[in-house]
Amino acid sequence: MAQDGPRRGVLRYATLGLDTADPHRHTGSIAVQQAYVEALTSIGPDGGVEPFLAERFAVSEDGLTATFHLRPGVVFHDGSAMDAAAVRANIERVRDRIRGGWLAGAMRLITAIEAPDAATLVLRLSEPYAPLLTSLSELWIVSPRSPGWEGTITRPAGTGPFLFGQWQPNLRLLAPANPRYWRPGQPQLEAVQFDLRGDVDKGLALRAGDLHIAEVPQDVATQLRADPRFVVQGLRDTTWYFLAFNNRRPRPPFDNPLVRRALGHALDKPGFMRFVAGEAGVVTNQMVAPGNLYFDEALHAADPYRAPDLDQARALLREAGVDPGRTAIEMVSWQEPYAQAAVQMVRRLGFRVTHTPLDDIGAQRRLGQYDWDICCMASGPRADVFLRWVRLMSDGPNPVLWGGIQDPELDGMIRAAAAEPALEPRRAKYAQAWARVAEKHYFLVLGHAANQIAWRREVRGFTTGFTWSPHRADGGIAATSLE
Amino acid sequence: MRRALAILVTGLAQGLAITFGLFLIFGAIPGDVVDVWASAGDLDAAQQAALRAELGLDQPAWRRFLAWVGAALAGDLGTSQRFGQPVGPMLWEAAEASLQLGALSGGLGLLLAFGLCTAQAAGSRMARLAVEAINLWSIALPTFCVGVAALLLFSVWLGWLPAIGGLLAPVIILGIDNAGQLAKPLSEEVAEVAALPHVMAARARGLSPLWLARWHILPLAAPVAVSLSGLMLAGLLGGTLTMELLFGLPGMGALVLNGIQGRDQPVVLAGLVAAALAIVLVNALTALVLAALDPRHTSRD
Amino acid sequence: MMRGLALAMLALALLGPWLAPFDPLDQDLLALNRAPGGVHLLGTDHLGRDVLSRLLAGAGTTLAVAALASLLALLLGGGAGLLLAGLGRGAEGLGFAVIDTLRGLPPLLLALIALAAMGPGLSPLVLALALSFAPLFAHVARTARRREQAEEYVAAAIVSGAGPWRVLFRHIMPNLAGPLVTLTAIILPRCVVTESVLSFLGLGAAPDAPTWGRMAADAARLAEAAPHALLVPVAAIALVTGACAALGGAARRYVDPRRAL
Repeated sequence: MAQDGPRRGVLRYATLGLDTADPHRHTGSIAVQQAYVEALTSIGPDGGVEPFLAERFAVSEDGLTATFHLRPGVVFHDGSAMDAAAVRANIERVRDRIRGGWLAGAMRLITAIEAPDAATLVLRLSEPYAPLLTSLSELWIVSPRSPGWEGTITRPAGTGPFLFGQWQPNLRLLAPANPRYWRPGQPQLEAVQFDLRGDVDKGLALRAGDLHIAEVPQDVATQLRADPRFVVQGLRDTTWYFLAFNNRRPRPPFDNPLVRRALGHALDKPGFMRFVAGEAGVVTNQMVAPGNLYFDEALHAADPYRAPDLDQARALLREAGVDPGRTAIEMVSWQEPYAQAAVQMVRRLGFRVTHTPLDDIGAQRRLGQYDWDICCMASGPRADVFLRWVRLMSDGPNPVLWGGIQDPELDGMIRAAAAEPALEPRRAKYAQAWARVAEKHYFLVLGHAANQIAWRREVRGFTTGFTWSPHRADGGIAATSLE
Repeated sequence: MRRALAILVTGLAQGLAITFGLFLIFGAIPGDVVDVWASAGDLDAAQQAALRAELGLDQPAWRRFLAWVGAALAGDLGTSQRFGQPVGPMLWEAAEASLQLGALSGGLGLLLAFGLCTAQAAGSRMARLAVEAINLWSIALPTFCVGVAALLLFSVWLGWLPAIGGLLAPVIILGIDNAGQLAKPLSEEVAEVAALPHVMAARARGLSPLWLARWHILPLAAPVAVSLSGLMLAGLLGGTLTMELLFGLPGMGALVLNGIQGRDQPVVLAGLVAAALAIVLVNALTALVLAALDPRHTSRD
Repeated sequence: MMRGLALAMLALALLGPWLAPFDPLDQDLLALNRAPGGVHLLGTDHLGRDVLSRLLAGAGTTLAVAALASLLALLLGGGAGLLLAGLGRGAEGLGFAVIDTLRGLPPLLLALIALAAMGPGLSPLVLALALSFAPLFAHVARTARRREQAEEYVAAAIVSGAGPWRVLFRHIMPNLAGPLVTLTAIILPRCVVTESVLSFLGLGAAPDAPTWGRMAADAARLAEAAPHALLVPVAAIALVTGACAALGGAARRYVDPRRAL
């Protein structure tokens, strides 16, 4: 493809790590492999779906058929053509061989994959599935000739703007430019070097000039915003903070709705969000932030817990017959400072708080024992709101963060929403499900804050996306150049 | 020769015992690599079980240990459970980085300590004070505090040094720390020797203090220096851990720590065993050097 | 002067919690990272907690953890070393192979693994620290016992009919006190520092606990915003170290006047 001027510069990029060379096996937040693999669709800055490897797509009115017209002339890094047969092989691999990750739900509903010609792919579903197109944005299309395709891929040949170069686990990935990328004029960089270490202080490295683009904590972001040498932007989707109750085996008195409401009134949500994210923090009572497609303004305005009301809290406790001074409350969290702020709020109400901060695995195991009362946690950006809802379902993946909710009625509501092909009715159904959550006081939302990415001024043409992806249809490292 | 062989065999036996002990200890840590993946929230119970079966994590501990030892003795250190990449290259690169940092800072420490003690033997009072000072420095100040201060000062405010991957700052910080551990015992030994009758007599005859230090005092202090150096080198691995994390150096400490956090058994085992074997080697070498230097000092340990 | 300092530290450790002007756990989210001066004499930390109060309240915990860990290391390691030195060559060799295994690993890594296996909390921390330093005590005890056993007075006691246990307790152990006390004085501050490094790595005392090590570790990550929050606990740790070093020297001279070194 034609190239305007020579490729220059090696971009040093540090956000998250890379767990595996096999794109289909990667779980959790993905922030690196989008440089070398792409998907049929891409998530736009507002959460909507945009064409990527599929230049046109359409879902039938009944939601049971999805047709994709593939972009012509795209080749994998190993030279083979990206066509319907290759895409079908990828979908089948995820469905049959990998059986992991959140795509499993979507895969179960696919009854047939048809490739009428080399540039068209048709998926037939057993029932409508609203998150289908967003799900496909993380079904990476890799060349079936990649080494390890039968087991675990060791050198993925994708279609992305950069190649899978040299990988030193937990250290760095060097991704040189793909000379045959399907977008003309891209990429403009010679290579991207991803710094995969989790424990270096990225803000410090960025300021010292060792990194070009890095994820920075909120306080550093505030500092860098005032510095003319840097640009700071948040991801478009947010990380949300919440206080969840033990919903699987609640222990008295925390199974009493009055006590749960009292705790809600004791929360200083503005104080908490200000501590977490300064000016960038948003107080709300929903799983999505203002500006999101599914955000309900009226519901937000009617939040009874928007400001702390200790008197009301104490009144509710009296009504419930609970003396906080003689009641112990067991709180679990990760080892983050914001958890301690939450502890303080509960303590102010008078409860005797035992706070157990644990690491990822420890917290998960402890939460899974359901011998605690509340937990203060956070959850990061997701490609589709359904991925937030699925954690609240009885058989959802890792539901412990929300107290292990097992509510068949809620399950039905969430499934109904997911099966609704049209947007407005879907919003209404999700709103219904949310009303159920609020009515049962399963958890209390504290607020939202977006993760911040900062970069040096000499980085041109870079923008952040909806999630952690560094390369999307709407921009990213393919369009980036170094001055 | 026979002695060397005996030391070697003991070392190997120790190595095996160490390996088994480490395997058991690692097994006592709750959680495995599948839990690490699952904590991101994408895997349900059935998927986790399938992954465990795939990795062989549902096998009993003794079977996994034997498999690992068998493969390791044949030279195959296995595949990282977390990343699916061979452990060998990962270990090799980490060892290289740690050796670099360890050798440079160890060398600097030795140089500093000996330099100060030589000056002290030559009669300098300042040197004696300096020895006390760096001794106190190395005990009292955690290296990570000094590291943070150095990062801020030299990498961020002054911009003289890189924040990631720079060797200069960690080498100097660790070097001073090592010198602090060595200098005091060595200087006490030197003071003892300097008070010996024949040394004082040589002094009275007017021989240059430096010449005295070089030919009379230091050689007598050498055995102590060698034992201490052995101890210091052995302790280097733990010391480099914080430096590696702060300055972004991809050494063994970081490898093992990340392995523990990621419940990556092959990596942790390989790293710890390599470290322990290295230490056994250093101890054996120290014993040999000491025995060679002065047969009277053959270690009774 | 050092003795006075040591006494002051002890007083601080015992009385600290009562002298603290603020609740060491109380966060003032509107007064984060305040510089020293005014209401908060030594400023506030990243959660708005008063640094002076945390320092005073933490003195007791910090010193208790270090003292307990050192004592446990002394008992476990010293005891093991003493006993093993009395058994035959075979048992001693085997026992010390195990001990050398532990000594071979850097104390930090050992404590790390122990804590990872045992979970968070102060008891596992004390245990982990004790395990890391016990091998050193074992070696000192063994060397000292060996040396004493070669002395004439022991031979005399044995000749006059004293049993092995009597020889051990009445003759040998009093002479071991010197080296063991010296080592304890070295290990105690190292416990404080190691606890600090463990906290820095996320495995030490609980984030709430106001131990000096935890304070230093938390503040290190935010050293720019609140340098005082880092300098205060580090200075306290340095003072403890100096006091311990001086105390160790004095104790050694008191317990064992023969050996000036």
